[in-house]
Amino acid sequence: MTATQPPAAGLIPAAEPPAADGPGPAATTRPSRTLLRFVGKKILITAALLFGVTILTFLLVQAVPGDPANTNLSETAQQNPEIVAAYRAKWGLDRPLPMQYLTYLNNLIHGNLGTSQSTGDSVLADLKKYVPATLELAIPAMILSLLISVGLGLWAAVRKDRAADHTIRGAALVGLSTPSFWLAIVVLYVFFYLLGVAPNGGRLSTQLTPPRQVTGMYTIDALLQGRPIAFRDALWHLMLPVLVLTALTVSILIRFVRSAMLEVLDQDYIKAAYAKGLPRWTVLRRHVLRAGLVQVVTVAGLAFASLLSGTVLIEQIYSWPGIGQYAYRAALNLDLPAIMGVGLFVALVYTVVNLLIDILYGIIDPRIRVS
Amino acid sequence: MTGRNGRGTRRLAALVGLSTVAVLALSACGSEGSGNSGGNGKTLTVDTSFVIKGLDPGTVYEGTGNMIVHALYDTLVTFNGSDISKPQPDLASSYTSSPDGKTFTFTLRSDAKFADGSSVTSADVVFSLNRLKNLKGSAAAIVGGLSFSAPDAHTVVVTSDTVNPDVPIILAEPYAGILNQKLAEQHGGEDGTDAAKTDSLGTYLNTHAIGSGPYQISSFDAASQVVLTANPKYWGSKPAYGRVVVSNMDVQNQKLTMAKSPSDTIALDLAGNALSGLPASLHQSGSPDTYYQLRIHADPAISPVTSNHDWVQALQASLDYQGIAALFGKSGAPASGMVPTAYAGALPASEAQHQDLAKAKSLLAASGVGNQTVKLLYPAITYVGVDLGTIAAKVQSDAAKAGIKIQLDPAPIASFLDQRDTGKVPFSFSPQSLDYPAAASIVADVLPGGHTASAAGWTAERADPATVAAGKAVLTATSADEQVTALQKWQRLMITNAPYITLCYSAGTAVASADLSGATYTAAGWTVNLAGVSSS
Repeated sequence: MTATQPPAAGLIPAAEPPAADGPGPAATTRPSRTLLRFVGKKILITAALLFGVTILTFLLVQAVPGDPANTNLSETAQQNPEIVAAYRAKWGLDRPLPMQYLTYLNNLIHGNLGTSQSTGDSVLADLKKYVPATLELAIPAMILSLLISVGLGLWAAVRKDRAADHTIRGAALVGLSTPSFWLAIVVLYVFFYLLGVAPNGGRLSTQLTPPRQVTGMYTIDALLQGRPIAFRDALWHLMLPVLVLTALTVSILIRFVRSAMLEVLDQDYIKAAYAKGLPRWTVLRRHVLRAGLVQVVTVAGLAFASLLSGTVLIEQIYSWPGIGQYAYRAALNLDLPAIMGVGLFVALVYTVVNLLIDILYGIIDPRIRVS
Repeated sequence: MTGRNGRGTRRLAALVGLSTVAVLALSACGSEGSGNSGGNGKTLTVDTSFVIKGLDPGTVYEGTGNMIVHALYDTLVTFNGSDISKPQPDLASSYTSSPDGKTFTFTLRSDAKFADGSSVTSADVVFSLNRLKNLKGSAAAIVGGLSFSAPDAHTVVVTSDTVNPDVPIILAEPYAGILNQKLAEQHGGEDGTDAAKTDSLGTYLNTHAIGSGPYQISSFDAASQVVLTANPKYWGSKPAYGRVVVSNMDVQNQKLTMAKSPSDTIALDLAGNALSGLPASLHQSGSPDTYYQLRIHADPAISPVTSNHDWVQALQASLDYQGIAALFGKSGAPASGMVPTAYAGALPASEAQHQDLAKAKSLLAASGVGNQTVKLLYPAITYVGVDLGTIAAKVQSDAAKAGIKIQLDPAPIASFLDQRDTGKVPFSFSPQSLDYPAAASIVADVLPGGHTASAAGWTAERADPATVAAGKAVLTATSADEQVTALQKWQRLMITNAPYITLCYSAGTAVASADLSGATYTAAGWTVNLAGVSSS
């Protein structure tokens, strides 16, 4: 038997995922209706969730001690009742709380997330500006994290209790125990200050003008506008924050990958695959990896959602104007519209990521798709 | 299955290959225009931890905003370099004050032009200052008692409700920047009494400068960077840098950047220990313009301990002022009085307070409340490079040496402000700075009747009449010299008679690369005059 030959069907036990040839004739008659029901249900849940987030965020912000007028006006101005009253009137803070909330909801329904007290811009415009910056960090960090953690996690599982396994687990433990801000500063110190191979933060060198916003991601926008120097520079600026985020995410994922792979490696159908002489790489790639990934996808999805929700400390240290910094400033200034805007965005991110995880389950394991 | 996977892999490889070729092709397209093509050549980079909300002079009051607005908008008068002793002509070629210290007449220069080429007139000035007053932003509290008129196209008369020899200083600040009235009104600007409700110019000013200053806005992002370009029609001396990028940068990052001895770069947040270990070739400048103060409630109903005069004096004698100042490194100095040494009217360094533990113990014993613990409320923040918790802990430890019991009570800044605003906090600590560079500006607030004094329970009945009279003498002084003398007398009385203890002063600092000149820190209110920075 050669490596290109599929395993004999009779040797594959029921526990192994069947080949992804489709759900069969019975299932194909109702896929669109099932899918519609599934999507409809998800949309309803998302709407209810977002509504809940608005109530919760609004109540939490009100519960926090502190008056936005105090945090947004100078100390002298705070002592002038006329100025404080004008501020409260300008931002609608002089109306009863239920009225404030209902006005917010009404605006929200019309696609208006309000105006940020910190930036003076609409919250929607702010999110359009800051979310792409975070996306530009999160996407490469997640791709690299998955590649590295799946590779190393699988290797650690295969080499269980040997030197490679201990080394990988030890490294993951060190990564998990390392505070993110400390790692970020050390990486900056080494690569920027000592070696001089990386920039000191920001999204682009100060000599360059940012590309016109299309996607908001400088690398992509620079490419679209044919600006290779800006592209390379943006890529260069991504290097350190992506490296740190990748290191932190890999530390989380790698243990899950290893444990998922170990579980699959212990299954009878894997032993059977080896027994019939399939090469190790074929068994790992075709049977172990695919079955193990179902468990990994959940954790990876949540890690991705966490990256998308903003990494305040990393963004702060690398002067990266993403959603994390925006949320931090909004919280400091008790900027209610911005806090609620970020809350809604984060809720939406987790909902969408969970939806994608559900879809990925079906792609990775056809049994889930059928059920 | 293998065949299908193989095709997939090949397709992927082809896609990656094509992408790589595309990137390489783009890379070979030649160089692109950078933003470094400003009229006057190079780019000046200013790294600072952003405190900015917008670029409207009518509402600006944060540090970063003040620096940028100062570069965009001229004012009637200004300060040159770090000298804040007397306002100098800017849009006004000269000014006079009436003998009663209430009326100030400014004569505008005839060659001043806005960026669109139109002349700056007295109507523009009156519009801008009325808008500032009626927008009811932070600075409205400062100009609330002023009224403005324009008897002719080149004369502006400013009248104060009260005696105030500091009016020219007030009008030198960035919030008093002069806007082009025509453009402002075209984009929603209003100067009427209801401007707080009707004006909609603010957001427009984040992307368009409608002033007569040396720079214009190229781009604005409150989270990452603000880019300025030289105003090609500037009526004064052209700035040396055609482009200025003000970047939001963490303090640690600023230190690493400056430690590499860059060129054309200024860092604005390095203070305290962050200044140590930097290359000697860098230019460092600073001015002690912030004071750190304990506020002690004088009302026995709020606290029988803090309202006890002997206890307050015991606390004052127990503190190691030199040690507290040392926490700020070379940018700290022990307090002599309330006014920081950057400003006229400060007490000399020779009058700095000293620790006297024997006196403290004796006073504490006499107080009869020495066995009681008092909570010290403070904002849990890092300010000018120093964690305020460190200072609070030092106060606690010094006081403990005399037997005074203090429990630390850190709070988030919003909560701190809220609690202190209630006027029921027995004992608190915070950094303080002036609204404009005239020491008299703090007097009314801390005297009985002022907001801070009320929050500290210091009423006219509880205050020493001589101290109150000395404070009033500062407020009624009609000349700067008279004011300085009155300020010093008032501070000496405040040390023993007021419910405030000033611990130390700290200096704001500018660290500039070795190739720069003119990048000096100023306590004037705009940190560094960007248009005055040049490359040697």
